[in-house]
Amino acid sequence: MAGMTTSSSTQAASQAITQAATHRLPGDLAIWFFILAELLAFAVFFAAYAFARASHVEEFNLYQQTLDRNLGALNTLLLITGSWFVVLAVQAAHRDNRPAIARHLLLGWLCGAGFLVVKVFEYAAKFGAGISMSTNTFYMFYISLTFFHFMHVILGMVILTVLWVQARKGVYGSHDAHGLESGAAYWHMVDLLWIILFPLVYVMR
Amino acid sequence: MIDTLKNPAHRAWLVLIVATGITWYLGEVGAAGTWSIVAMLLIAFVKGRLVILDFMELREAPLLWRMLLEGWLILVSSLILLAYWISLK
Amino acid sequence: MQYKSQAVAKPYFIAAIGLFVGQILFGLILGLQYVLGDFLFPAIPFNVARMVHTNLLIVWLLFGFMGGAYYMIPEESETELFSPKLALALFWIFLVAGALTIVGYLAVPYATLAELTGNNLLETMGREFLEQPLPTKLGIVVVALAFLFNITMTVLKGKKTSISIVLLLGLWGLAVFFLFSFYNPVNVVLDKFFWWWTVHLWVEGVWELILGSFLAFVLIKTTGVDREVIEKWLYVIVTLTLITGIIGTGHHYFWIGTPEYWQWWGSIFSALEPIPFFAMTVFAFNMVNRRRREHPNKAAVLWALGTGVMAFLGAGVWGFLHTLAPVNYYTHGTQITAAHGHMAFYGAYAMVNLMMISYAMPILRGRAANGNKSQVLEMWSFWLMTVAMVFITLFLTAAGILQVWLQRVSDTPLPFMVAQEKIQLFYWMREWAGVAFLIGLILYIASFFAGGDEKEAA
Repeated sequence: MAGMTTSSSTQAASQAITQAATHRLPGDLAIWFFILAELLAFAVFFAAYAFARASHVEEFNLYQQTLDRNLGALNTLLLITGSWFVVLAVQAAHRDNRPAIARHLLLGWLCGAGFLVVKVFEYAAKFGAGISMSTNTFYMFYISLTFFHFMHVILGMVILTVLWVQARKGVYGSHDAHGLESGAAYWHMVDLLWIILFPLVYVMR
Repeated sequence: MIDTLKNPAHRAWLVLIVATGITWYLGEVGAAGTWSIVAMLLIAFVKGRLVILDFMELREAPLLWRMLLEGWLILVSSLILLAYWISLK
Repeated sequence: MQYKSQAVAKPYFIAAIGLFVGQILFGLILGLQYVLGDFLFPAIPFNVARMVHTNLLIVWLLFGFMGGAYYMIPEESETELFSPKLALALFWIFLVAGALTIVGYLAVPYATLAELTGNNLLETMGREFLEQPLPTKLGIVVVALAFLFNITMTVLKGKKTSISIVLLLGLWGLAVFFLFSFYNPVNVVLDKFFWWWTVHLWVEGVWELILGSFLAFVLIKTTGVDREVIEKWLYVIVTLTLITGIIGTGHHYFWIGTPEYWQWWGSIFSALEPIPFFAMTVFAFNMVNRRRREHPNKAAVLWALGTGVMAFLGAGVWGFLHTLAPVNYYTHGTQITAAHGHMAFYGAYAMVNLMMISYAMPILRGRAANGNKSQVLEMWSFWLMTVAMVFITLFLTAAGILQVWLQRVSDTPLPFMVAQEKIQLFYWMREWAGVAFLIGLILYIASFFAGGDEKEAA
């Protein structure tokens, strides 16, 4: 099409949205919109949990005790560490340390896999005890919230896999870390959500 | 050691791990009621903020996006606080 | 027109508008029957008029979607259509089948129609929106598959853009989800499941992909904004649509014999359903504001902006109004639903089709855009129809609120028909707004005959 410039449209996009800013938004503007929508979904879910609890305090306090806090905390450590590895991957890209990018992405992915394994054990124990979404309101929320998050961990790991393949091909470096930063931002969101979810569902009473 | 901690990501990771330990410990000793709720929400808030600023690297990002994400954290924490406050009454 | 085969879109567009007129006429008959119960009885009973009104809507939207696809795909794929002949043949088959179905609805009682068309072989009739007799349903599947074959082959032999992939996803989804209409289990809960899996997954799922794809296409053409930017938005919108739309199906599972958790899942995810519509509005305005050229077809741009706003209001806001389980407990199946249905269908799907027609028709008739006179007339029709629809929605909402109050919330609830008597005033006002809508539609059609290109208009 005639009359079009070939300048980077994404840069133009971020600048148009945040005209006052001189700083750079890591990753793609679109992924941030997506993250925002995801965060909103979880915000509604968290608020629904908290307000539903307000009218079932005793039930929630009672059944919260049946959750495995140790596994919940272990999973928090796994996601935090997984997030940390991915930050290191992005930093490695900016330093053009190519092998370190893929290595750290792989470590981050393994943390995610660890999370899933722990979660599966936790679910197995609960479902084995005959607990389902219809057992009571607390378990409905426990299963809904953690399962919805579980799906996000899987999606995050799919993204990390793509990043890892790309990193191995040498796509990322100080010249271009755009895709890497976008995927990393999503992975951190998965971490951020669990950081709220863990105290809310497992500990706070 | 000091050099290592110059990297904000390492610092954030360390704080996040310790903070998770504290929340876990509060659970173990059976902390409940106003102060433990406030403490745990505060810890979650600090942790979330570290993830936003140092992991998502929004500390240096356009103010709008930093505010959107931090605003989300404030919104969620306040809603939870409000609901728990109602439940305590 | 860049590709000769795009011309097959023209009969589809003309048929769509023709059927649209029919839909509105039956809408007016229906509206009058709300206040004058025996109007046209026994020639056209209420249930038949309603069926014709909704079926014509679906058929004309499908004609519009197909026409839009035939117009858009060759241009996106940068190649002629795989088979223009097939497209034309399908047009006549679909038109005749559609017309025969409507004649069947009007000529014989529905039960007789069911008997005549072999409903006892496979019981598919009698469900709202899916009332079509078995031969028509089979015809729809055949036409849809042949249409998809034609479109898919065109994309496969040409360039594959995100916009055409999203359109294909939407159209294939439309065809696949229609298959649920062939299964009508005896268990009423399962029956509702399968019914919603067609109806809901259409309008709150795959149709939105068609909408997004058409909108993106017209925005690229009229604003000259980089394809990259537009495609990125399209991806975000599509993902949000699918996530909220698919899980949002839960808002149809309240109190119909399904587990209680659906009240939470349905409420939470359908509360998020306005987000993709909001994103679409922001998208349309953002792209138009950043336009790199002034496209001569102002009317098409107006429809593009209009569909964003009205879809957000009708589908997003009015949907949210009664989607939370505790609210829906009272509002289920009242005029609130009718209000939402009217504005959502008009804002999202009628308007996006009118946008596509508005953009493509002048080009199909050999000019970049219509003359000034014609465009002014079209913009008048835009405002008249849109404002009329806003009023229809507001009057129905008022009627609905009153109905909920009198019939369900009040300490001394009134019987249905008594409550209906009390809200007649709003039905009258809705009918007059409907007349205004018809005038808008007549102006719209008139705009096709008012002046040609700029020279003729001068």
